[in-house]
Amino acid sequence: MNIDDALGSEIHLKIIRFFHENQASIDTPRGVATWIREDRSKVQKALEDLVGLNILIAHRAPSTTGYSYTQANTVLSKIEKFLKRRKGA
Amino acid sequence: MVEELKAGEYQKELFERLRKNIDLKREEECFGACLHQSMWWLVEKKHPKPNDILKAVSSGCPSCSKPENKVCIQDLHNAIQRSAKDKALTKFICKEGKRGFVYPIAQGDALYGYIGACYASEDVSPQILDIFAAFTDTIVKEVQKELELSKLYETVRPRAIALSTVHTVYRLISSTLDLNELLPRIARLSLQIIRANRCSIKLVDSTKKLLLPKATVDLRAKKAILKKVAVGKFAPGKAVKFGRPIRGNNYLATPLIDEDVIGVLTLYDKVDGSPFSAFDQEIMTTLAEQAVIAIKNAQLYKEQEKLTMGAIKALAAIFNARAPGTYLTRASFLRIAMIMGQNLHMNVAELKNLEYAVLLHDTGQLVIPEEVLSKPTKLTGRELELVKEHPSRGVEIIKHIGALKSVIPYILYHHENYDGSGYPKGLKKNQIPLGARIMAVVGAFEAMIIKRPYRVAKSMDEAAEEINKNSGTQFDPKVVDVFMAVAKRKDIRSILEREEYEYR
Repeated sequence: MNIDDALGSEIHLKIIRFFHENQASIDTPRGVATWIREDRSKVQKALEDLVGLNILIAHRAPSTTGYSYTQANTVLSKIEKFLKRRKGA
Repeated sequence: MVEELKAGEYQKELFERLRKNIDLKREEECFGACLHQSMWWLVEKKHPKPNDILKAVSSGCPSCSKPENKVCIQDLHNAIQRSAKDKALTKFICKEGKRGFVYPIAQGDALYGYIGACYASEDVSPQILDIFAAFTDTIVKEVQKELELSKLYETVRPRAIALSTVHTVYRLISSTLDLNELLPRIARLSLQIIRANRCSIKLVDSTKKLLLPKATVDLRAKKAILKKVAVGKFAPGKAVKFGRPIRGNNYLATPLIDEDVIGVLTLYDKVDGSPFSAFDQEIMTTLAEQAVIAIKNAQLYKEQEKLTMGAIKALAAIFNARAPGTYLTRASFLRIAMIMGQNLHMNVAELKNLEYAVLLHDTGQLVIPEEVLSKPTKLTGRELELVKEHPSRGVEIIKHIGALKSVIPYILYHHENYDGSGYPKGLKKNQIPLGARIMAVVGAFEAMIIKRPYRVAKSMDEAAEEINKNSGTQFDPKVVDVFMAVAKRKDIRSILEREEYEYR
């Protein structure tokens, strides 16, 4: 999966949109699933895909994993452009 | 709720929703015949000007839309003014003799606009108009409720997300008691929450005059520079001295306060270049409160670990005093066991237990008479029984130390054999805890290469070969494979050789 694939997948896009709108957020798979109203197991898998693409950062602890948004400007601006284009379409 | 919103914004959204409202469209269809096919329209302003009215009705009313019918618009304007004054449904007759009415859209004292109808061929009965007003009121109230809920959702959602973030951060930082892991984690989480480029955590030293750098994460640099800072100097030092956050455009220093100030967490340079805000300060103050609890817990845990290790070393020293240099676990064997544990994917707690168990594994030999332990000839049946009791005797001694509870299975079963031929329980394969299986291999290796009064020591290669020969019978093959790899390591060999010289 690459960034374009992720932006083309509904659940991945919902997660990206959530973190793009709430860039200071750090949340667990359960929390993210609640905010985007999706199934937790699907969200968990998608979150790991996005970590692999450096769109999200995983903060791993024995009891849970917190996910937060990238601070990489190249990734952020690519997503920003995509979301603007999509909103305009 | 409405008061909190800007009135203009609220009015605009209310009318947008009314224009799209399906129930209002149905009302228009249902009342169409009763209201004699009149034209419906909505006017958004409280005090609309004739042009606003013309704009609202021109597409619907054949009379009002005629450019020459300015008077018609004026009639409507007058009716709206009367309706605003009375806050009630107001009827009118336009220049072309058509009938119409205006009904105000209001909530309490606030008036937002009007719904009206015109170009009806006949007068509409008051009963029908009463029903119309009641229906319209219900629809408007529903739309207002929807709008308020939507505004409430927009206000509450970011706060709920922020609260969830605080909760997640708490879970993440409370899940470790290792300061070396905890402090960088707090720094990274702070960077994420505030979207800053650098975070540094400094703790106050014992003199309370210096701040010692403990963790720095810099998103822009591969290697962070760690600097000591005097209390009272620069933003971090001032935050500690005054016990309050110190904020500038490109820095935010938040003191870590327990009963006293124990350190400071400083953020530098927001990613988007904006200055640190009062909101950032609030968030960091909350995070610092959580961080202090986690740091204090980790410090207490470290203290307790030191105490436990002190007690273990004291026990080992007592044991060694009986036969100096003979039974004290050497650093090399502890190191071999720990590397094996890591290679066999033991977690931090299991490794700690393994460390304690290796140091204490033969504590039970304290209760075996010295002459039995150092007997150069074959042991009698009773003597052998005594030796076999040493794991359970060791457990009897250490069970009083609560912190060593989880070490007990490692000590109790470190003489069990993989094929079930060991003691004290004759456990087999995975029934034997992994730590005990590791200790069995390391213990056997130790026993073979250390000189004893009653036998000649083997060389390291001979001992390793003997271990390998007993793989699958006395020892777990998986553990033996890991041991063989570790025993070949140059660093291990040199430590073993050095110790052999020291203990000679």
